[in-house]
Amino acid sequence: MALTTAEQPSVRASRATGTPAKRRGSRRGRRSEAVAGYVFLSPWLLGLMAVTAVPMLLSLYISFTNYDILSPLSEVEWVGLDNYERMFTADPSYWRSVTVTVSFALIAVPLKLAVALGVALLLNRAWRGVGLFRGLFYLPSLIGGSVALAIVWVSMFNREGAFNGFLGLFGIEGKPWVNDPTWALETLMVLAIWQFGAPMVIFLAGLKQVPTELYEAASVDGAGRFRQFRSVTLPMLSPVIFFNLVLETINGFQGFTAAFVLSNGTGGPIDSTLMYTLNLYIKGFTDYEMGYASAMAWVFLLAIGIITAVFFSTGRFWVHYSDGDDR
Amino acid sequence: MHPGTRTHRRRLLRGLAAAAIAVPLVLGAAACGDDEGGGSTSDPNAPVRLSVFYWGSEARAKLTEDALNAYKAKHPNVDFEVTWQANQGYADKLATLAAGGDVPDLFALDDNMLADFATRNVTADLTEYKGGKIDVSKFPPSLVEYGMVDGKLVGISAGENTQGLVYNKTLLTKNGLPEPTTGQTWEQHIDWAAQVATKTKVPGTQDPSADYKAFWVWIRQQGKDLYSGKELGFSADDLAKWFTLWKGARDKGATPTPDIIHEGNVTDISKQLVVTGKAATSWVWANQMPELKKNTKDELGVVAYPGDPSGQWARSSMYWSVARSSDKKDTAVDVINFLVNDQQAVNILGTDRGLPSNMDLRTAFAGTVTDANMKLSIQVENDLAAKFGKAPQVPPKGHSTFRSELVKAAENVQFGRATPEKAAADLIALVQPKLG
Repeated sequence: MALTTAEQPSVRASRATGTPAKRRGSRRGRRSEAVAGYVFLSPWLLGLMAVTAVPMLLSLYISFTNYDILSPLSEVEWVGLDNYERMFTADPSYWRSVTVTVSFALIAVPLKLAVALGVALLLNRAWRGVGLFRGLFYLPSLIGGSVALAIVWVSMFNREGAFNGFLGLFGIEGKPWVNDPTWALETLMVLAIWQFGAPMVIFLAGLKQVPTELYEAASVDGAGRFRQFRSVTLPMLSPVIFFNLVLETINGFQGFTAAFVLSNGTGGPIDSTLMYTLNLYIKGFTDYEMGYASAMAWVFLLAIGIITAVFFSTGRFWVHYSDGDDR
Repeated sequence: MHPGTRTHRRRLLRGLAAAAIAVPLVLGAAACGDDEGGGSTSDPNAPVRLSVFYWGSEARAKLTEDALNAYKAKHPNVDFEVTWQANQGYADKLATLAAGGDVPDLFALDDNMLADFATRNVTADLTEYKGGKIDVSKFPPSLVEYGMVDGKLVGISAGENTQGLVYNKTLLTKNGLPEPTTGQTWEQHIDWAAQVATKTKVPGTQDPSADYKAFWVWIRQQGKDLYSGKELGFSADDLAKWFTLWKGARDKGATPTPDIIHEGNVTDISKQLVVTGKAATSWVWANQMPELKKNTKDELGVVAYPGDPSGQWARSSMYWSVARSSDKKDTAVDVINFLVNDQQAVNILGTDRGLPSNMDLRTAFAGTVTDANMKLSIQVENDLAAKFGKAPQVPPKGHSTFRSELVKAAENVQFGRATPEKAAADLIALVQPKLG
């Protein structure tokens, strides 16, 4: 990443000189340092245990039971791998939600990143009032997860919505986007893409890190704009692109709010917006199958973990860390 | 280290661990111990704080607050902690509270949730209070029965309603069209709706094929029922016929387009198609008519669903239930009794949750009503009461799955993604295993 890149030489320097000095320090000193560290960490550690680790382990346990959330936890029955088996063999809605989520992520995430990068390139110039535009473009992300925005989206993209009014100006007859099973998910994708502010800001920061002398050198060599973008900007930006890609993919898979609001919590019309997390919610809280929902959550966690791992393992082929190390 | 100290320390650790496990268990057991006692031995004038939870609109919240205040005026020792929210998400919230062992003392349910909560023992069995602290002798018997699951009285009917077809009177009069009538056949209704559509450009009726309560009336008129015990009471053929009936209506142009029907399927009462002007009729509950009227300038009318009105029944629109875990059951039961059997409370609550369950009080209340729409909905329902059929059983656990799958199946047919036969067969295969 761009920031770490800048720091890396100094870190290396301190490692070279500092480590032997530490090694000379007494055992006891190191130990008390560690204790102090843990003491300072303890509020966070306790919080992590109480609100994350314990519930997570509990949900892992629940995923092997028939827990229905209404009955006391003490009355649940152990069902082994039944929940997992049903997911993969006997639940069409499960595969429906996997398809919806994957197509959402596959289309919305790359488009969102492309738009974010494009706008970041435009806003990277020294215009008058560029700060204002940066703020304006970031705005949709600020109200991003909000329910209100999804409601506005629904009214913009239904049959009488503003979007169809706009199309009408050109004599194009619109569609009932959000209420049509063919288009509802696409409407959600557009909403997600429109909220490109967060990756855009990160791209902007990345662009600022690219040394200007590289562009100067490139133009001396006779490289045109496109060539400069391809051979200087993109490689220099690749750590930031990588970062955004990982983050936005995870985000994309976890999309819930907009789908929930748009479909009134049903994933409709006809399961067209049945995102994985929404399906999970419906199973857990509407159908009272919390055991099954927990199993779904664990498979989801594993899947996201695997996807992220794949990103990291392929990253070394295309992510360029310019710390002069050429790895 | 001395071996003795080590065992000693190990024992200490083990003791601590045991204590760590035991303390919550003991606390939990203590909490369970409270379940059984109804608090009947305690002083009746000791201060009680009762938590109440229900869903509804702002208007309902106001009425409920007034009624509870009337109770408080008579019982100053009782204090209420009231929470309410919109219908969407209500069941989820209640389930979450149940999971946390924090069920409110007194809460509202409807027949969509009753079996789910009752079979999992969230609700208290109120049978022992019947005839004592809760008087249901003035209720129509079907309303009392409709609050029973597995032989236990788990909900006290907060009001009675029945299916009502609400239509836009102004639109019809303006175009010189006849109004729908109770007793019209389904085919007559569809022809009428097609006629309305041709004349007014407003589709005559919302296609209710996704609406469980419309299907329910229709299937009862075919001599079957939605459920028979813990099974579906109809076959795939029956359901396919229902879908085909409405496919015909759509082909005649009697209904809106599928996306508009979808809007009507998922929306709340304030945006029903009869109110938004996207259809001339909406399929609702008769007592919702006054609420619909608040959202439109047009005059509305209400009749029974098509077909023989004996397909309809006196349905408990909503129940009051008491938490099994509550240690204030006596008070909670007393409050319910007040809400359903006290003339003052009944007059305050009006028809918001349905017609008053107590027949004597209903008659007395009806005489005081001045609101024309409320009057009409009471009159229609009273007229129907003579023709009502026997109340069906309370829907079993899994009813909510049937409802959501029916919407999907119907929309699959409407959007042309499945034939009526395929959609019906898929639904039966999906829903049947979830019932129980």
